[in-house]
Amino acid sequence: MTPDLDAVRGWVDASLASLEASRQRIDDLNVYPVPDGDTGTNLTLTVRSLRDSLSESEAEERVAIARDVTRGALMGARGNSGVILSQIVRGAAEALGEAERIDARTVASALRSASDAAYRAVRRPVEGTMLSVIRELAEEAESRSGAEVRDVLLSLVPRGEAAVARTPQQLDVLREAGVVDAGGAGLLELVRGLAAGATGEEIPEAPAALEAVGVDAIHQEQSLYRYCTVFLVEGESLDRDALEEELERLGDSLLVVGDATALKVHVHTDDPGKALSLGTAAGTIDRVEIANVHEQAQRREGRLLVALADRPRTGVVAVVVGDGNRRLFQSLGAAKIVEGGQTMNPSTADLLAAIESVDGDEVLLLPNNSNVILAAEQAAGLASKPVEVIAADSIPAGLAAMVPFDTERSAAENAAEMREAVEAVSTGEVTVASRDVEMNGVAIRKGAWLGLADGEAVAGGDDFDEVAGAVVERLLAGPRGVLTLLTGDEQPQLDALLERIAKRHPEVELDVQAGGQPHYPLLLSAE
Amino acid sequence: MTLTAANTAIVLDSTADFTEEARRFPNWRVVPLYVRFGDESYRDYVDLGPDQFYARLRIATATPTTSQPTPGDFLATYEGLAGHYDRIFSLHISARLSGTFESATSAGALLGGDRVRTIDTETASAAVAMLALAIQRRLDAGTTDDEVDALVARYKAGHGLLFTVDTLEFLQRGGRIGRARAMAGTLLNVKPILSIREGEVVPVKRVRGSQKALAEIVDELAEATQDTPTLRIGIAHAEAADRAAALEAMTRAERPQAQIEVVTSLGAVVGAHAGPGTVGFFWFDDA
Repeated sequence: MTPDLDAVRGWVDASLASLEASRQRIDDLNVYPVPDGDTGTNLTLTVRSLRDSLSESEAEERVAIARDVTRGALMGARGNSGVILSQIVRGAAEALGEAERIDARTVASALRSASDAAYRAVRRPVEGTMLSVIRELAEEAESRSGAEVRDVLLSLVPRGEAAVARTPQQLDVLREAGVVDAGGAGLLELVRGLAAGATGEEIPEAPAALEAVGVDAIHQEQSLYRYCTVFLVEGESLDRDALEEELERLGDSLLVVGDATALKVHVHTDDPGKALSLGTAAGTIDRVEIANVHEQAQRREGRLLVALADRPRTGVVAVVVGDGNRRLFQSLGAAKIVEGGQTMNPSTADLLAAIESVDGDEVLLLPNNSNVILAAEQAAGLASKPVEVIAADSIPAGLAAMVPFDTERSAAENAAEMREAVEAVSTGEVTVASRDVEMNGVAIRKGAWLGLADGEAVAGGDDFDEVAGAVVERLLAGPRGVLTLLTGDEQPQLDALLERIAKRHPEVELDVQAGGQPHYPLLLSAE
Repeated sequence: MTLTAANTAIVLDSTADFTEEARRFPNWRVVPLYVRFGDESYRDYVDLGPDQFYARLRIATATPTTSQPTPGDFLATYEGLAGHYDRIFSLHISARLSGTFESATSAGALLGGDRVRTIDTETASAAVAMLALAIQRRLDAGTTDDEVDALVARYKAGHGLLFTVDTLEFLQRGGRIGRARAMAGTLLNVKPILSIREGEVVPVKRVRGSQKALAEIVDELAEATQDTPTLRIGIAHAEAADRAAALEAMTRAERPQAQIEVVTSLGAVVGAHAGPGTVGFFWFDDA
């Protein structure tokens, strides 16, 4: 045993204790690079491995101690953050191992060596992570190379706190989630513990404010449950673990944080009332917020589509009617929706304005109605950027065209594949006859159901299922893989029809979507 | 130096989804990655097989996470081999998808010397195993480092990898694909066809329905290859045995002379990132 090895063990223990105390908080912060909530755990496991291997070490020379430290961290490195940490430890240990004595200058060169090793470990270094935090720590130490070692160490904590606080400004995904970087926060806790352990000073803990928990980060997970429920429980001697256990049964994305007098609860559940009554049983509740997760997720999807599809090369303008149909086009990547359809055709000027407003160098225009195709072509001719009109003449044809769309390719490249898709799809519709018609020798009264396939009337009558079924049979006459049904705003009853299709065409995948279009209770397509 | 199966070992990680090493190749080892459900950590394939994993995934309340083997895990394997083999080829999943290659490289450096050669295959799953099989064929005949290098380069440039997933949710949640891409088409029954290029997951095409997805994969195979006995094919799936079987039949019809050398389940680690319903397809003409 040497005093040196003992000292190093003491530093590691102090660092580990500080990290362990914040492990859960750091896990909750974790959204980058992967929002899987295990950064605190990975860092903790890595440092524990370092501690365990040091407890077996018999090294006496500084260089040998440094080697054991390096090896211990490396051998147990867990996850990305653990590997980066092991490099930080290695860089620092190598510099310290070679030093004759530890002074402010050595501390600075150890941190610089740690920072360099960390940057080298990562293929594409990203700022706003552990890397920027260790670099700033090195800079801080270098600016104090004439000072006492203890002052240098103590100065690292506020500098580290500032560096961690800045990470959301450096990395978009953190800002969006409203959190600081988890790896950086973990590194700061290690430094806090190390500084306290090495100087014997008491260093106040990080303000473990309730707000520090990244509730938004949790929302990045997909949830099975509908309502995001957040509230504060106040009382005396609240039992966090007990409350957590009870809430666990109600849903997922659970967070219960705070102390015995105030607990903040976040849970996704189908029964927010039950969650609240668990809260009132434990204490008094306050600041209740309940939100529909699925709507939040949809809005978030929309924001991300806009925010992260970095400067698209090609954008799509689609003429669409019906809320559901609009969402379908958006989910497939349409940049701009112009309201319109059978009875309300958008003007050339409307289409031109939409084309010009699209954030992309080139535009694909989907009229989705035969009455809109001419105006679309006119608008394309007037536009200031290249526009390809895909002559889809119905909503389902337009959707089929959207499937191969890729925003990173040119309009012309996209157009070739999208036109192919329109050619390959068969479409149908069920509507109400607006006047008496004669078809295949059968007279269809005004007001009766009228079924069309690829623009041709194929059935008519008073029985919706029969008319729709005849359209389906026509569409599935050839070999087809997928049948899509878009229901209209009056939401027809489809159970019997769907059962019949499944029985007669078991090989066909059915996709039923609420389209929300007026006038057509059913739009169909077969691909 | 002439490299043979007697003096050269091959180390894979468990993401190669290859389970026949113990039975077929005494000079092969597989180092497991870790899968974590909450606080419980399992070694991929060792403590948690594919079937157990997918059963667990269905009832899990929290998303499983994965982590690379530690450098210590690799070092133990290398040390175990070092007594018997002069050369160790350690082949790993794309370093852009996992830190496994970094762990292996750290361990190789700890072992010292030039005995271990770690290779970032820039690909994943059975495609890694198929490269190892190609190297093993060279070893069986006797080969050299240069020949292996040339093979690896040719494999990286010339092998095919396509996969289709039921939902992009898993790739997106694991951070393995750009988010904007991941969002697209989630409402309709759109099946993305993806590949791995330069080590990263990239979308190739979107189609409607899983039948179309399989047909598209076979079309791509037909376009990229000739029907020859040197054409090797691999299929891997996550709880989609019926679709894997359909794909196998379609492949036999399209390329009757080809050898289907791997048909496997995706293990817990790859499965956690691709999700149930994933079907992967791999090819390499080892002419």
